[in-house]
Amino acid sequence: MSFEEFQNRARLYVIGALEPEETEEFELARKNYGQRAEDLIVECYNLHEAFALSLRPEKSSDALKERLMSMVRARQSK
Amino acid sequence: MPAVAPELAPGAPTDLELMLGIQAEDPEALSQLYDRYNGILKALILRVVHNEAEADDLLQEIFMEIWNQAKNFSAQKGKPLGWMVTLARRRAIDGLRKKQAYARAGERLQNETEQQPDAWVHNATEEEITFSDTRILVRRVINTLPPAQQQAINLAFFRGMSQREIAAQTNTPLGTVKTRLELGLKKIYDGLKELRDEL
Repeated sequence: MSFEEFQNRARLYVIGALEPEETEEFELARKNYGQRAEDLIVECYNLHEAFALSLRPEKSSDALKERLMSMVRARQSK
Repeated sequence: MPAVAPELAPGAPTDLELMLGIQAEDPEALSQLYDRYNGILKALILRVVHNEAEADDLLQEIFMEIWNQAKNFSAQKGKPLGWMVTLARRRAIDGLRKKQAYARAGERLQNETEQQPDAWVHNATEEEITFSDTRILVRRVINTLPPAQQQAINLAFFRGMSQREIAAQTNTPLGTVKTRLELGLKKIYDGLKELRDEL
């Protein structure tokens, strides 16, 4: 697999859109390309952040945060 | 290619500082991270599950997971927001499948895509656009894609669909779906990189 093809597949990989047979080939190429591949995959995960930031934030209730923080404090006190 | 990060108020702790605080079990750090990102994460979850109550439950579970799993976060492997989004997306898609709401969501999706093939941009109004410069910039990149590419990426990212599932959902040949995803993702990736270089 050329590195260009690996780049294309890496972007599909991070959003979970590779088919099983493609994933096998991708993982093999990932090992072969070593650190260069790992660096690229980390970069591709920035797509997740970008997709989330493309959305209009939705409001959550204050009660939800209070419940969350109570659970956290309860866990801490154990 | 760092994504375009939202601007912080002067003196506010960075996301990384908050993550380090959570790793040190400081509830105040979680509280601040929640205030900063609950809206974005809830929007992402809602985009997947399409149910307000389920989205709230998942949001709470996800922030508990952030608290419990913070020790697994490594700045070498990416930024805190990317890590949280990856975690939230996985939980939301798992939640959708576990609750066997997939079929119902599929029907809603069918209606949604028939009515609005470019659904990604459906909720952008003038008021919302002025709310966030970051969103404008990211959307500007996404909006350069043809609607078919946006739709394919939307189904893969926000619905967790495989290429075959997208092909079946949209009555499109598998090869075409693959091409749309590859081209669309490359354009967004390159567009965000250019944007980052300009800033």
